[in-house]
Amino acid sequence: MAEVTALGTEQAGQATAIAEPIGPVADEALLADELLVEEISIDGMCGVY
Amino acid sequence: MSTKSASPTAVFDLDRPWCLDRRVAVRPEPFGALLYHFGTRRLTFLKDPTVLAVVRNLAEHPTARSACESAGVTAQALRAYERALATLAGSEMIRERDDL
Repeated sequence: MAEVTALGTEQAGQATAIAEPIGPVADEALLADELLVEEISIDGMCGVY
Repeated sequence: MSTKSASPTAVFDLDRPWCLDRRVAVRPEPFGALLYHFGTRRLTFLKDPTVLAVVRNLAEHPTARSACESAGVTAQALRAYERALATLAGSEMIRERDDL
């Protein structure tokens, strides 16, 4: 029983770790928030209205 | 459709006169605006209404700096707006005015 509980806790911990962004990605997200313009490439999108 | 946050390729001079390129269409949106350049076929999102106000003010002000101030850009935020304007200049959405 204790073993199952420990495994469950471990899995919860892993899930938490996966949910949290890693360092470079988090930094990039913060940087993106500071940008006030964003360019979008629509080349090749014929027929898009 | 791919997105990219373009980085400015050249230093932007806030103390020069600028204006929106005449080939650019502006579509205001709740989040800011869409800019479409009919010459380059580039589409740019302005992610803040203040950036739109700055872009619209450019032609009526002697410098980009005064256009920013007129739009309510604070000294602390000016660097971010300078970066944004540099990006727009790099993609030819805005250009230097030839005021004589």
